Amino acid sequence: MTPSEKTTTMAHASRVPWLTLRRKEALEAWLFVSPTLIGFVIFFLGPLIAVGLYSLTEWNLLSQESTFVGVANFRDALTVNPDFWHVVRNSALFALGLVPMNMALALMLAIALSRPFFGVVFFRTIFFAPVITSAVAWAIVWKFLLQGEAGAVNQLLASIGIDGPNWLREPNWAMFAVIVTRVIKMVGLNMILYIAALQAIPRDYEQAAQLEGASRWQVFHMVIWPLLAPTTLIIMVITTIGSFKVFDHIYLMTGGGPENGTLVLAYYIYQQGFEFFNIGYASALAIIMFVIVLALTIVQLILRQKGSG
Amino acid sequence: MTSLALSNLAKSFGPVKVIRDIDLSIDDGEFVVFVGPSGCGKSTLLRMIAGLEDITSGDLMIGERRMNEVSASKRGVAMVFQSYALYPHLTVRQNMGFGLKVRKMPVDEINQRVDEASATLKLDVLMDRFPRELSGGQRQRVAIGRAIVGNPDVFLFDEPLSNLDAELRVHMRAEIAALHGRLGNTMIYVTHDQIEAMTLADRIVVLRDGRIEQVGTPRELYARPANVFVAQFIGSPKMNICPAASIAREMSGDNLELNKAVQVGIRPEHLRVAAKDAGNLNGRVTVSEYTGAGSLLHIEVDGVGSFLVAEEGQVGAQQGDVIGLAFSNDDVHLFDKDGVAIHR
Repeated sequence: MTPSEKTTTMAHASRVPWLTLRRKEALEAWLFVSPTLIGFVIFFLGPLIAVGLYSLTEWNLLSQESTFVGVANFRDALTVNPDFWHVVRNSALFALGLVPMNMALALMLAIALSRPFFGVVFFRTIFFAPVITSAVAWAIVWKFLLQGEAGAVNQLLASIGIDGPNWLREPNWAMFAVIVTRVIKMVGLNMILYIAALQAIPRDYEQAAQLEGASRWQVFHMVIWPLLAPTTLIIMVITTIGSFKVFDHIYLMTGGGPENGTLVLAYYIYQQGFEFFNIGYASALAIIMFVIVLALTIVQLILRQKGSG
Repeated sequence: MTSLALSNLAKSFGPVKVIRDIDLSIDDGEFVVFVGPSGCGKSTLLRMIAGLEDITSGDLMIGERRMNEVSASKRGVAMVFQSYALYPHLTVRQNMGFGLKVRKMPVDEINQRVDEASATLKLDVLMDRFPRELSGGQRQRVAIGRAIVGNPDVFLFDEPLSNLDAELRVHMRAEIAALHGRLGNTMIYVTHDQIEAMTLADRIVVLRDGRIEQVGTPRELYARPANVFVAQFIGSPKMNICPAASIAREMSGDNLELNKAVQVGIRPEHLRVAAKDAGNLNGRVTVSEYTGAGSLLHIEVDGVGSFLVAEEGQVGAQQGDVIGLAFSNDDVHLFDKDGVAIHR
């Protein structure tokens, strides 16, 4: 048998009647998406369904007793438990403080660092580095820096005659301190998004405005800022969602204190589940947080559609 | 209306000189076209005039005033960009009125001037549309309209037709020519398309490597090119260039007066196809390209080189044919060893 005859025979043998071209392509497509799909089912959909089921139970992790209670956990959280609304208020406060500060700083840095100049890559790296720094290391360092009298921040303030507060121990200042340190850690990410958006705006727009007599402020206000609107919207929503989900930062810096002044929703869920072992109640709180984040995501989609329309 | 004078104008990006000692005067109301191959510095020169690029050395005068250090918005110029640079979030009306708005002009006056410009350019029905809702030609007209409302002394056009299809380009070219006729302003137009340059310009400035190769009317540049570069850049298809000695050796008929020429040039449209041995040269057709109105023939002449011939008519020579090439000695351009024209 010649090599060509052999190949032809093998081709005939491997032909399967039901494996049409369309089915073959579909099979290939499923094979390509299957790793992601399996990961999604195991690590997202499965836990989500499990949490949904746990939320309908009263399940104490220590006694291992589980009782179906329907929506009692939700009713308790939303109508009975005063801590819940305090925690939601704290989360909202954290978001309201963090989001505008983060976005304003990110935009200012992006404007400064979007054009090439000597050392621009160095400065971009400096501002982005905290994003990839370990949250634990970041929080521990800042905890030391923000100590009462011994902290470097207060010593610096003292050198210019300002008597700094005990940042992480005073309820009024603790929230401010965690917001600012979180902003410094995460601002690099939004800065990069803004830099990308600014670099995508053709320079012709700016130059045309400049030729027509627009000042720098007018160029920014009347041309650049409106063109950044889609990016601003995305940044606003992902930063808001991220701020509602913040856990590690609070856990490591204040542990929710002082006097529950920095106790936010994600940390409260952790407390309920792994300090008080109320897995059912913690699951119900997690579902409520999921709904809040989902609602914010839907708002994002609607606003984006309106914006692009 | 305003004249311009460029004296020893130069521009460097670090050690790289992109514009070298440009001397040029542009009269009131003149339509001047900067033309040249990509990278020759024509857009940079325009942007220097606009104030979008710093001038490294030399003087730029607009009217009686030295403009080197004057900001772009105070030079009395308006520019139409290659990309049109229409603000995508503003309507046509807002785009056209943008410059007047930033100068805090009263709304009534803005509307009046925008309406006048829109009537001139037949944009009335498009005023509430956004740029994304316009065709290429409409965007082009809006960009021109935006330039008009500012009532500038000088219009600058940076390859404004290069994003349009061939048909629309011809149409817009005529509109720009008509606009110049109506407004009478000084206009400077950059293009790499020599047809655009020939059809629009009062005078053409041919640039290469940041230097002016020749300045003249379209007819002057076509009939009396200053050098081989201009001779080949102006005219389509480009001029045939061949060694003077070899063509003199091979050609029959009247002797060619070489005047120390090293190269000679003959435009494709000045060569006529004749029967074998009936012209000045004999050659073989290597490629025949039918163009509709005629054919473009690639002809190999032994001992001389290859020639392009623009042959009119529907019955042209075919590939492989041996033909004669006839030309008048008056149509032959002579160039010295440096490529500089020798005028007889």
